[in-house]
Amino acid sequence: MGEDPMTESNEISRRTFLSRGAAVGGAAVLGVGGATALAGCSNSSTASNQPPVTSGSSPGVGKGAPRQGGSATVGTLAEIDGFYPPLNHWDTNGFLYANTVYDPLMAIAADGSIQPYLAQSLTPNATYDVWTMKLRPGVTFHDGSALTSTVVKSNFAALLASPLTKVPVEEITSVDTPDSLTVVYNLSGPRPTFPSGLTTQVGYVVAQAMIDATNSGQTPNPIGTGPFVYSQWQPNNFFTATKNPHYWRGGYPYLDQITYKPIPDGTQRAATLQSGGVDLILTTDPSIMSQFATNSAYQMVDNLKGDLIEPTVAFIMLNCAASPTSDLGIRQALAKSMDRAQILKIFGSNYTKPASGLFLPGSPYYSETSYPAYDLAGAKALVKQYKAQHGTPALQLSTIPDPRDVQLVQVIQQMWNQAGFDVSIKTVEQATIITDFITGQFEAVTSYQFGAIDPNLNYVWFSTTTVAPLGKIGLNFARNSDPQLEAAMRIGRSTTSLAQRIKAWQAVNERLAVDLPYLWLEQFPIALVGDQRIQNFAALQLPDGGKGYGFDEGVFFPSQVWMA
Amino acid sequence: MGSYLIKRFAQLVVVTFVISILVFLLVHLLPGNPASVILGANDTPHNQAVLFKQLGLNKPLVEQYTTWITSALHGNLGESYLDHESVGHIIATGYPIDLELIVISQIIAFAVAIPLALVTSRRPNRPLDNVSTTGTFGLLALPPFVIAPILVAIFAVALGWFPATGFTPITQSLGSNLRDMILPSIALTFGSIAVYYRLLRSDLISTLQQDFITMARAKGLSSTRIMWRHAFRPSSFSLFAAAGVNIGALIAGTFIVEYLFALNGLGFSLVNAVNQRDYLVVQGITLVVAVAYVILQFIVDFLFTVVDPRVVRG
Repeated sequence: MGEDPMTESNEISRRTFLSRGAAVGGAAVLGVGGATALAGCSNSSTASNQPPVTSGSSPGVGKGAPRQGGSATVGTLAEIDGFYPPLNHWDTNGFLYANTVYDPLMAIAADGSIQPYLAQSLTPNATYDVWTMKLRPGVTFHDGSALTSTVVKSNFAALLASPLTKVPVEEITSVDTPDSLTVVYNLSGPRPTFPSGLTTQVGYVVAQAMIDATNSGQTPNPIGTGPFVYSQWQPNNFFTATKNPHYWRGGYPYLDQITYKPIPDGTQRAATLQSGGVDLILTTDPSIMSQFATNSAYQMVDNLKGDLIEPTVAFIMLNCAASPTSDLGIRQALAKSMDRAQILKIFGSNYTKPASGLFLPGSPYYSETSYPAYDLAGAKALVKQYKAQHGTPALQLSTIPDPRDVQLVQVIQQMWNQAGFDVSIKTVEQATIITDFITGQFEAVTSYQFGAIDPNLNYVWFSTTTVAPLGKIGLNFARNSDPQLEAAMRIGRSTTSLAQRIKAWQAVNERLAVDLPYLWLEQFPIALVGDQRIQNFAALQLPDGGKGYGFDEGVFFPSQVWMA
Repeated sequence: MGSYLIKRFAQLVVVTFVISILVFLLVHLLPGNPASVILGANDTPHNQAVLFKQLGLNKPLVEQYTTWITSALHGNLGESYLDHESVGHIIATGYPIDLELIVISQIIAFAVAIPLALVTSRRPNRPLDNVSTTGTFGLLALPPFVIAPILVAIFAVALGWFPATGFTPITQSLGSNLRDMILPSIALTFGSIAVYYRLLRSDLISTLQQDFITMARAKGLSSTRIMWRHAFRPSSFSLFAAAGVNIGALIAGTFIVEYLFALNGLGFSLVNAVNQRDYLVVQGITLVVAVAYVILQFIVDFLFTVVDPRVVRG
């Protein structure tokens, strides 16, 4: 939540793990389908490869006829650790690079359905445990080799062999390739939303030559089917890619070249945009968003104006297995003593939206819950009750050594102490805090998580099946073991009725408001800010002609960007 | 002098060896481990064990150190756990940026501090001297991370004279390179200006009270000649000693400047490597920086023996 030196990159690193975990992990726990998603996946209509003339009046949507040629430079939050899906950790920046040199098998449509992208169609059997994918014919990788079912199978084998990506794909028991353009995924059980997993890191396809080179111990340059061809990468300095003249989507990309420059300091990144050093920047700082939102010389698109399904939210996570936060009364007192309006006033620059659950107003999944309102007197009463039996409740509030996060927890510490708690603050280094999450070595800790196109992708974080004793590995970090919540999620995973799925997830949201493993703060903000020359950075036309989800928490498709 | 230098060189070798052990141990004492970073949500004991074996982190520390230092002595510092880039390549790419930053910032510092000290020391406690002394106090209080955004706001955003971030290699375009490096160098130089000015001014005031200066004045030599020829040299020992130490400190100072200006120098790489527990990169960069610092001090000591032979006797 900050822009001080070392700040924003830390934030995004942390988010990286969480969002990656959610997104990739989600592929393993696909549980719910939806009529919308399924209908979309079955679409095997002929690809409309001719770029349309776009005309938009919204920020980030191109104005006038697209122009071929030119180059664009994008200022990013941080550098990635590599291009290879089975081994590297992709965050917002990683997916930007991936959309530059690769294509995903499936993509998210503007209406939230999952649509074919590099795939031509993806259809399930009657029981949703066998999915058949048809690949688009005539697609070639940058090295001239063809996209075939064998290459897709080989990608799957590489994903399965990697400790990083094994979990997301291990429920795929086998992959068959009956012909050169057909891939059959055999799953261990019914997975109605299997396609949504293929929009994540495990759904990007690389060339066989890249897999072979990696397997022989090399670190090859990326070879994909994407709109741009890798040109040069100096980690932490820049990544440049040039137009793929043989791109399978005729007419795309518009740009001759695109360059990404990691600029970790947010203020400097904004200054670089203002001084013309880059054409487009990513930012997660509400104060910078607030500054550009009212400046007509720039176009800004942020996730605060409406996430498709489930936004990334900031919250304080409480350990339901460790004393004193294992006591529900204590968790209620902590929630009631947090004046969220005041917190957002200080840290949100009056720009971010408060969150009171997994979904925000406007989402079909949103519903009012019984999440406690600010009630200091009520909090004091609960603490008094606890004190009578156990003495003053003392707890540690952890955060990363980020100046703004530290300020945030200091404010919360004061609020909790006012209610009668004895709160100490602990700062934990970025890499360590993630291990602490997994092993439950915390009492209360700041966190950001849960952004997903499909709520079922978050199953693993809330499930009773992933709760582990303290000190043991458990993906239910908060260790909230609620059978009612589990039952609701299982309904959500198994139903193909959208109405039932929504109802199930509203029940999950309500259970979280009752159990209070998470004290909600705000929607985690992320924005793209461009000058007036760069066009269409938040719009996407899918291969089959439909509208794509052009701005997914900072990630866009560079193939359709042009310079005015 | 020969035995003195041999003794100093032997000390250098011992110090470097000790540094290599400390660097290795300190990095391994950091909380967290690279496997957690690499594995993320899949950080299970089994996966950790597999990865530790792959990375050689399951071996005893002594064996890990021996393997590392032997390879380092053969010029192989290993490769990044995360992106498999060779540490030697990371250092080779990064060090010219640090070197250039330090050189330009020191040129600016000397170019400002020396003339200013020469002028103000002639008339101490006059308005110019008072303003300069107070001003340098202010400069000392302004760290690079405060100065950098101010410089960017004025010279990059408002005036558009220099870029806010970025780096063009000198081999690509000298003009663009200098344009890119001016603001980071200025951000880095303020502290040096203050230190050099105050040291030199103080020594010059003391020197100007010496008999040989009075004699020079009696001979009718011009003030400029007296200042440059007679007063500056004996007053410059503290200045150059401080410069030697300060340049070492600047290696650390460049880290924050590189972060702010998105310059892919050693500091930038080191900070990223620390955050990601990329041990070999941290060890490699720290070792190279430490050795460079020790060698620099050796050179400074050597130059002192040339300038002032009393150092050897002392």
